[in-house]
Amino acid sequence: MTVTRAWIILVGLSALSTLVAASGLDGRWLAAAVLPLAGLKGHVILNYYLQLALAPEIARGFSLVLGLFIALLIGLSILPSA
Amino acid sequence: MKYQTQKIALAYFAVAMALFAVQVTMGLVLGYIYISPNFLAEILPFNVGRMLHTNSLVVWLLLGFFGAAYYLIPEESEREIHSPMLAYLQLAIFVLGTAGVVVTYLFNLFDGNFVLGNEGREFIEQPRWVKVGIVVAALIFLYNISMTVLAGKKTAITNILLLGLWILSLLFLFAFVNPDNLALDKMYWWYIVHLWVEGTWELVMASILAFLMLKLTGVDREVVEKWLYVIAALALFSGILGTGHHYLWIGTPGYWQWIGSIFSTMEVVPFFAMMSFAFVMVWKGRRDHPNKAALLWSLGCGTLAFFGAGVWGFLHTLHGVNYYTHGTQITAAHGHLAFYGAYVCLNLAIISYAMPVLRGRDPYNQVLNMASFWLMSGGVVFMTFTLTFAGTVQTHLQRVNGEAYMDVQDQLWIFYAMRFGSGVAVVLGAILFIYAVTMPRKEVIERGLETPAE
Amino acid sequence: MTALHSLSFSQVSSGGPGGDAPPASPSAQAPDRPDPFDKLPGEFMMWVLIVSELLVFGAGLVAFLALRITDPTGFAEAQSHLHRVGAGINTIALVTSGWLAALAVQAVEAGRIARMRTLLAPAAALGMVFLVLKASEYADLAAAGISFETHAFFTFHILLTGFHAAHVLAGIVLLALVGILARPRAVETGAAFWHMVDLVWVLLFPVVYLL
Repeated sequence: MTVTRAWIILVGLSALSTLVAASGLDGRWLAAAVLPLAGLKGHVILNYYLQLALAPEIARGFSLVLGLFIALLIGLSILPSA
Repeated sequence: MKYQTQKIALAYFAVAMALFAVQVTMGLVLGYIYISPNFLAEILPFNVGRMLHTNSLVVWLLLGFFGAAYYLIPEESEREIHSPMLAYLQLAIFVLGTAGVVVTYLFNLFDGNFVLGNEGREFIEQPRWVKVGIVVAALIFLYNISMTVLAGKKTAITNILLLGLWILSLLFLFAFVNPDNLALDKMYWWYIVHLWVEGTWELVMASILAFLMLKLTGVDREVVEKWLYVIAALALFSGILGTGHHYLWIGTPGYWQWIGSIFSTMEVVPFFAMMSFAFVMVWKGRRDHPNKAALLWSLGCGTLAFFGAGVWGFLHTLHGVNYYTHGTQITAAHGHLAFYGAYVCLNLAIISYAMPVLRGRDPYNQVLNMASFWLMSGGVVFMTFTLTFAGTVQTHLQRVNGEAYMDVQDQLWIFYAMRFGSGVAVVLGAILFIYAVTMPRKEVIERGLETPAE
Repeated sequence: MTALHSLSFSQVSSGGPGGDAPPASPSAQAPDRPDPFDKLPGEFMMWVLIVSELLVFGAGLVAFLALRITDPTGFAEAQSHLHRVGAGINTIALVTSGWLAALAVQAVEAGRIARMRTLLAPAAALGMVFLVLKASEYADLAAAGISFETHAFFTFHILLTGFHAAHVLAGIVLLALVGILARPRAVETGAAFWHMVDLVWVLLFPVVYLL
């Protein structure tokens, strides 16, 4: 994937987040929708801006930790609105 | 010994070990005061004894660092030290200043005098004339080693060592900043106390450890340097804002609680890196260096520093925890193991490595030295546990149940008694160490002596 | 005693005369297995910094959301004072700036210095746009009498976005420096820092501004 395609995806994901936030969705559903989008953006930046895709083993490690981190954030943000 | 001026280190190490003996002896006296509080109350009040215990520690560790610098810089930069005369002058100033502090405190002289009187601030209580002396000595030292390094080869080890020693010396200038406002006073105070032991000293530690690993394991310099840079970066990244964990309750704004908690938690990382560094180098290296005692102290340094500074530090660094544990024996437990693991072991490692070379008696008497490691380390670790338990009980009784301070102290007696016992082991270990590196003239156990067990 | 004897025997016997430079055994170095970290693209020390920064900001975000559990309404009320739209625009500004910086790395690697500079200039300019929008938010908060101490939300908001903004500023300076230096390695390292700033923002933005 080229960096330009990565940029298009990032802008697209940002637009999607904005749409979700503007849709009036709130509370746990907002968190469950928006945070994974942020995780995806992080994944794209790590792999294609920072070129971790060239080192797949390390990229997998980063993705795993990023995924767990996003899951933790979702867990924490679901609690208050539960 | 390749360079004659490395001999300077011998004088520094000798004074350092003499002060080491003073430090642990005072520690034993203080430990006894904890179980029998009126002991020496008239002659040596607790606060003066404690000052001697902590100040002699700091001074001997610094002298050890200076000695280490004078020992390793000629080898690294492949040059003789710029001026041996200045190096001895520097040592003389330190010895005079130290004696001045001790006399001023013991006899409570010149109280209130701006130049001659003590300043009464924990760790930087030296009379002003001594502080000026320390600055002069530090300038001499920096001039001397910088000239040496600038004229010779520059390696990662000398770079990081010089960086650490320069910032360390500059930070000491805050000893002259003494605002009337106690909160501000403490704020600047930590610029020295914290940024030394959790910043610049770590750089010194990492570079000395790197030198030892290079010599003892024979791993490529390139590999050692990579580790050294990473450790130095991690130490500064976490350590500088980690100062915030001292700003939790001194009157600084509330956001310091979060900055302090988060960055000081990160401070575990460089200590973990140093421990990993030592072990990975030993595994990677194939060189079977005969000085096993120096290797033992180096590995012990990495390991005990990680537990003492890293784990025991993290134990009470989060402000939610520290709200309860602040100033209890938990702090004492952390302080003892951290200083011992990180800086005492480091100094004893470089001394164990350098002394046989300096005295032309290559590896001798390893067994006694190694026995002293286990005796001293065992003592400090046991002490750490007794104090940790004492601190846990104290936190509960005093901070949770709200009992009075002295009532709680009475109930901690059993822990203090056990701590005294471990202190005896530490003092015996220290004496054994000093004997092992100074006295024996030949190898105690020689080749071929091995006999079957009976 | 036997243990002591054999222990000391192995030490003394293997060393030869050396204290300083004992003879190394034939293979003084273990055969090096390929170090997985050598595969990291770019400057290794920058990765050490990136991971350190991610840990700090990550811990900050976790603490923020954990504290929010204790006062969801207070946090929601406080959040309504922020510039959400401005922050959204800032996301676009940073990811676009990151794209330009990534293109600049490709340009300098291809030896096209002039193109690299024409790409880094707007990248840095977008960083300035970010800072201007950020400053207008801070100014409005200050005008409303809101500070660090007003509410736990703002303690975190100002700490996290303030630290981040300081990194944006540092990043702009860094991009300018590596643009002048024009060495591929330097540009790559400067861009990596810039991507880290970008990465922190895309994680920070939804947590602080949207939830």
